[in-house]
Parts: sequence; C-alpha cells; structure tokens
Amino acid sequence: MSAISSTFARKRNWWPGLIGLGLIGLIVWRMFHLYSVNPAFNAAFFAGAFVRSFQLGSLYALIALGYTMVYGIIRLINFAHGEVFMVGAFAAYFMFTLTPFAWPWAIIIAAVVAYGFMQILNFWRGHMLDPVVLAGGVLAFGTVAVALISVKFGWLAAMVASMFITGVLGVTIDRVAYRPLRGAPRNSMLITAIAVSFFLQNFGILAFSNRQTPFRPPTFWTGLLKFEVFGEPLFTSWMVVLVPVITAVLVVALTLFVTRTRLGKAMRATAQDAETARMMGVNVDRVIATTFLLGSMLAAAAAVLWGMTFGSINQPAIFGILPGIKAFAAAVIGGIGSLPGAVVGGVLLGFLENFLTALFPRTAEFPGITEYKDTFAFLAMILILLVRPSGIVGEDLSEKV
Amino acid sequence: MSAINGKPSREDVADIPDVASRDIDTPNGDEIAAASYEPHYTRNRLRNGLLTIGGLVLLVLALYLVDQGTSVKLRQVLAMFAIWGIATVSLNLINGVTGILSLGHHGFMLIGGYTTGLLILPAATRDNLAASARSELSDFAIGLSVENWMRALGLDALATPETLWVRFLVALFIGGLVAAVFGVIVGFPSLRLRGDYLAIVTFGFGEAIRLLASTPIAARFTNGALGFAGVPSTFGKSIWWTFGLLSIAVFVMARLKYSSYGRALQGIREDEVASEAMGVNTSYHKVLAFAISAFFAGVAGGLWVSWVGTARLDLFLFFLTFYFLVAISVGGTGSITGVLMGTALVVWVRQYGDPLEQSYPLSTWAVAAGTVLLLGAVIAYVVRRHKRLKPRINSVVVTVAALGVVALLVGLFGSNLPALQNSWQGFGMRAITLSVLLIAIMILRPSGLMGRSEFSWAWLFRERLDEPTDEERGQDAWLTNPAFKAAAAEDELSDAEGEEP
Repeated sequence: MSAISSTFARKRNWWPGLIGLGLIGLIVWRMFHLYSVNPAFNAAFFAGAFVRSFQLGSLYALIALGYTMVYGIIRLINFAHGEVFMVGAFAAYFMFTLTPFAWPWAIIIAAVVAYGFMQILNFWRGHMLDPVVLAGGVLAFGTVAVALISVKFGWLAAMVASMFITGVLGVTIDRVAYRPLRGAPRNSMLITAIAVSFFLQNFGILAFSNRQTPFRPPTFWTGLLKFEVFGEPLFTSWMVVLVPVITAVLVVALTLFVTRTRLGKAMRATAQDAETARMMGVNVDRVIATTFLLGSMLAAAAAVLWGMTFGSINQPAIFGILPGIKAFAAAVIGGIGSLPGAVVGGVLLGFLENFLTALFPRTAEFPGITEYKDTFAFLAMILILLVRPSGIVGEDLSEKV
Repeated sequence: MSAINGKPSREDVADIPDVASRDIDTPNGDEIAAASYEPHYTRNRLRNGLLTIGGLVLLVLALYLVDQGTSVKLRQVLAMFAIWGIATVSLNLINGVTGILSLGHHGFMLIGGYTTGLLILPAATRDNLAASARSELSDFAIGLSVENWMRALGLDALATPETLWVRFLVALFIGGLVAAVFGVIVGFPSLRLRGDYLAIVTFGFGEAIRLLASTPIAARFTNGALGFAGVPSTFGKSIWWTFGLLSIAVFVMARLKYSSYGRALQGIREDEVASEAMGVNTSYHKVLAFAISAFFAGVAGGLWVSWVGTARLDLFLFFLTFYFLVAISVGGTGSITGVLMGTALVVWVRQYGDPLEQSYPLSTWAVAAGTVLLLGAVIAYVVRRHKRLKPRINSVVVTVAALGVVALLVGLFGSNLPALQNSWQGFGMRAITLSVLLIAIMILRPSGLMGRSEFSWAWLFRERLDEPTDEERGQDAWLTNPAFKAAAAEDELSDAEGEEP
C-alpha cells in the first residue's frame, strides 16, 4: 500500500487544509472576541485549557490504541477494553495502598502472576518447560512475592505491576472468550465482548467496593505547577507534563515494537490478511494474544495516569464505560485499525471536549456547554462514520465497512 | 398457531409416488401428487387447533389465578415479564429477523417512557411540579397532558378518573409514535453503514440520548436527573394490560415475520446484496424495521415507567439492552417464542436471584463454587461425549473438576479455618451469572435454544429425521454386525473408566 502511494504521486486535495486553516482562524477570532468581552478569558485561561486538552487527549489516545490494535487484527470491537482499564486502575490502587501483604496472600498472588508471566514468555519460546520460561517464572515469583511482602509501591512501580496484571487479564479474556469464536459471525463476537464487559463490571463490584475511591499515590507530580503566560499566572499540576511524556514514551515503544521486531512484522501481516499470514507460517493465535497483551498494558498505564490526573476513580461498575466508549469513538474518528489514527483521534477528542468547552464558557447570559461535553464524542463519531467511515488518517475502508 | 417448519417430514417424501414405478394407466402423475400430497403443517389441523385453544385457555386461567392470588410479587414479576417481552420481541425484529445488531434499544424505551409518563401525569402532581422550585420542567411541558387535550376537544367523559385507561392508551400510542420517529432517525445510518459500525452507532445513539436527557435543554421535558414521580402504576402492574399488549406485539411481529415484508427482512439478514439484486428495497425495509421496532420499544418503555411508577434516567441504562440481548441470544435469535422463553429466564434470574447476592460465610461460598465447578466439569464431559470428541476427559475438564473437588472439600471440612470465618456478600452475582451464561451460549450454541424455528405443535410432534426408525436400525450393518460389538463395548468401558472422581 505504502509502496504504491510513494511510486505514483497522488493528487492531493486542497480543501481539507483550507478547512483546517479556516477552523483555526475561527478559533483564534473566538478567543480574541471572548477576551474583548471579558478580560477573565485571557491567554492563561486558554493556555490552561490547551494543556488540559492535550493531557486528556493523551489519555484517550492510550486507551484508543488498545481498541484500534484489536480491531485491526481480528475486526472485533473489544467492548471489554474499558473494563480492563477499570481493573488496571483498581489493581494499581490496591498496589500502593494495601502493602505489605500477609505472606499466604503474597504467595498466591505471586504464583498467579508468575504463571501469567510464564504464559507470556511462552509466546516466544513455545514451550512451558523451556529453561528460559521456567527461569522467568521463578524470577517473577520471587520478585512479586518479595515485593508484596516487604516493598512499599510508588506510583511508577504500581503502574508497571498493574500493566502486567491487565496484560495477563487481556490474554485470558482472549483465550477464554474470544478464541473459541474465531470464524464465528461478527455479531456473535460483538455480543460476547459485551458479555465479557458486563462480567468484568460486576466482578469489579464484587471484588472492589462499589464506591468512588480516592487515588492519590504519594508523589510530587500531582503537586502544583505555576506557569506565566504573557504575565498572567496559570496554576496547574505537574501531571500536564507527565501524562503526555509517558504517553509519548509508550507510543514510541509500541511503534518500535510494531515496526522493528519479528512479532511486530507478524502483527502487521496478520492485520493485512490473517489467512495468508497463517499460510506463511505466522502463529496467528500468538499474534492475537500479543495484541491483547499490549493493548491491555497501555490501558493500565492510561488508568493509573487517569486516576492521578483526577485524584479519584469512579465506582467499578461505571468507571470503565465512558472512558472506554469515548476512546473507541476517538479510534473511529482517527481511523480504526491505524495506530497514528488512534493517537490523532484521541488528542482531537481531548481538544473537542476541553477546548471547545473553553471556547464557549459559562457567562452571565450564556449557560455554557459543559453539560453537553460527554455527548461530543458520540456525535463526532456518528458524523465521521457517516461522512468518512475510514476516519481522518485511515485508509479507505469502504469495502470493509 | 401452525407455524412453518422448514424440514419436510418423512411422510411427505413417502406420499409422493415413485415416478419410475408408476403405472401407465394412471391418469396423471401430477394429479396423484396433488391429491395425496398434504403439507405437514396442514395435517392434524383439528388436533393442533384444539391444543392451541386449550393452551390459551390454560394460560388465561393461570393468569386469572395469579391475578386473584395473594402473591403481589408474582403478579409484578409476570407483569415485568410481559413488559420486557414486548421490548425483546421488538428488538428481535432488528437483531434477529433483519440481522442488524442494534444496541440502542434503551434509548427508544427512554423516549417512549418519558413521553408516556409526562402525558399521563395526574393533575395534582403537575401542580406540585409547577410550584416546586427544584423542578426544571417548563410550563409548556407541564401543560402537555392528555387530560387537557380531552377537555379541549370537548370530550369531558374521557377526562374523568374512571376513563384513565383511555388516556393511558392514547399516551402509550403517542409515546410509541415519538419513539418510532427516533427509530427512523437512527435507521438512516443503516443505509450507509453495516455490521459492527452500525452497532456502535446505535450504541452511541442510546448512550447519547441518556446523556442528553439530563442536559438543561432536555430537562425542560425530562426534569433532569430528578425525573418525575407519580406516574399511575395501575396499568404497568396489571397482568391483563401488560399481557394484552404483549399478545398484540407478538401477534403483529408473527404476522410481520411471515408477510412479504418479513421475508424481505430475512432476505436482508441472509444476504443484503443478493436481496437487493432480487428487487428488495433494502433501505426502505431497514428503516421500516427500525421504526416498527422503536414503536414497540416505546410502548414497552411507557409500560416500564408505569410499572416503576417514576420516570428516572437510571431506569434506562445500557444494562436493559444487555438483558434483552441475553434473552434473545439464549432463546434463539429470530425466533419469537424462543425470545419469550429467554425473557422468562432473564426476568426469573433478575427477580428471584436475590439469594445469590446475600451475605454468606466463606465456607458456604466455597461449597457453592465447588458445586458449580463440578457441574461445569460434568457438563463439559457430556458435551464432549455428545460431540464424540476424544479424549472425553481432557486437561481442562480435569483441572476444573480438581478445583471443584478442592473447593468442595475446603468448604465442607474446613469451616473451622480462621480464614473462612468471615462472611462475604455476593454483590452483582445475578449479572455475573447472566453474562457467563451469555458467553457460554455464544461459544457452545450461538443459535440459542430454539434457533430460528418457532414453537408449534407440528414441531413438537414432528418426526425426528435424525433418529433412525426400527426398520433402518435393522438394515444398519453397523449396529447389527457382531464384529463391531467388541469396539462398541470397549468404547463403553473406556467411558466407564474415565468417569468423574
């Protein structure tokens, strides 16, 4: 595909750029207009909205990557991804609040995690009794057991541990619920995904308390950060720096994995044509499991950052739903199945929710549009699907849709 | 009630004379065939008709006994079954008959429910709402009342408390119509989109409706997060009303399914491109399916609001559509009778599943978990045996059974362990049960219990073409040849050895 487009120079459309320029002009005009009406809407106000939009957009992008990877590989809308995100947040929460563990619990948890880690190593080594797999399992068991008994987790350690836990969870979901349905009608797979999502929601109620939980790991990143924008003070937290940086690191790592490794190559091959990839010797089931692993790990990272950004996580029954569905909308807006599309769509949705609300703030005569911002994602998604189903940066999917 | 069963019975085949052995003197082969051929579904008409009438009389009698009985709970559960039945049967028109996965049914129900609730609200409640400072309802919305309209039309006889049922019917009808309008709006994306994209658009619609309903503009009609209480619940909790409307819905859906429209819809399900090539106006039919389905969903929403007595936003969460999906998938996607059976199961678990969510000692939970795991292992063994898979007892079955035995032993003999002294409350166990059931159904039997066939007497008394007759058994060398006996006996032996521990 890319070879063809680089060989034959395609005629570029001029009007999308023009529309973009026009929109930016309108936004700038609106900002100056608001400032002229009310000096409270100064540069610092919009700069704050900008960094917060970028922060929220980064979180959406991280979640959307999981949706878009799974969709790209097996054409399944993984409804349970939002709930994996929820489990990631709660796992991290218990990580940095409930240590140290009593030793029986620590051994049980360590055994489960070590088994999951061995399964993951098993993707590459192909045999559970392989020395590397066994050594990895023993190492993981020892590390997790010692860590659970003695070490107090910081947010980064909790995030990494939670990423491993949700990774194992994602692979388990694929193995138990989705793999028996390969080749089944897509509606059956979608209904199963909804059922898994419901199962995890109610499992969350069962396992974690069903109430809003404070999420404040001891760290300076959630502390106050003061900017000066054109002489106006802007108070935010260090999270507006941390979230985009971690997102960038993870996205770069993912891109390197997908483009530079054998498994990444197998992944791209499976996404193009699973049957042919299978004929060429790609172990498709292993590739799909890797996809679920990576997507779920990104979801856990997003969950920890989400909790730190907002200082609390919602009830397990509903925490995953809205972020999950909005991130799916972001993936569709960007072009589902494409990794850059997910990032672009996520950031765009962040701006749509936060910056648009800042452009139409609550004033004395206008009630503001804050109450409506949860619906922007759905409306934008429906609009994109009707106008350009392939999304902003996606390839043309009109045959597949 | 003689529905069409796809398979021809053995007698149909046998009744058609063999062309090769026909006598030259016989007048005309076709005439003989016409005279002797009788479709299986017209045979035994008297028996089937009597059975239908008897069944209906029994049903009405049972409903009468429940209505006269003392159990309020049973009455309410049956009414809820009928209301959810209307919703599932209408969702079945899109999901099962037309083959479009629609996930926005709770949105249609919300629209119908709020419309009906607002139109039927008693005058005293309206005055309270108008006087209340917390109410966000606009004066225009407070004035929307079927009672006022009847007065304005000069029909004072229909504005009395005795004729509330007429006004309720009018309100239900209007609620259904408003929902149908939204159904047409949601149906339009189906012209451009297919498959899971359309599913996600309908889902987005359902969620957007619920989120929009609490925003300031919509709150002028919905009263925001507060909703409005005081909707008369005499109809939603009445067995005769709900079952009457359910029977209308089932009648309409059954007639629709076997009409030319229904055949066109089923054609769209099987192959949209082919049915378009055969001259079916697929756009029109898809939007029509959405409109009809949304109409009945709106009616179900109105009854649901009446059943609860208040119009609130948390009545119309996505879990409603999820439960309908469970009902449809378990019963059989596309089969009206199957969908009703699935609805009965879901309502039963929802309403009588409270024991699952109570607080028990951990040892009791261990016993329960062990029993479930052992049952699962036994079922897995039976399924593998039925499917003739070897080995009958594989590692998964052994693992599940071993875990079950361990849990059972711990629960039975370890009740003195200090770790098992706490009690634990099973919040959410009903929904977990239903979602596990849905996953299992999707993996093991995606077509559901009934598949796409309907219940009918001809189906109940049908001949089993897959079971050999005695004559065929006698002809079957496989079963009579003594040389095969040893292998069969060995097979039995290996099964007996591998029984559950």
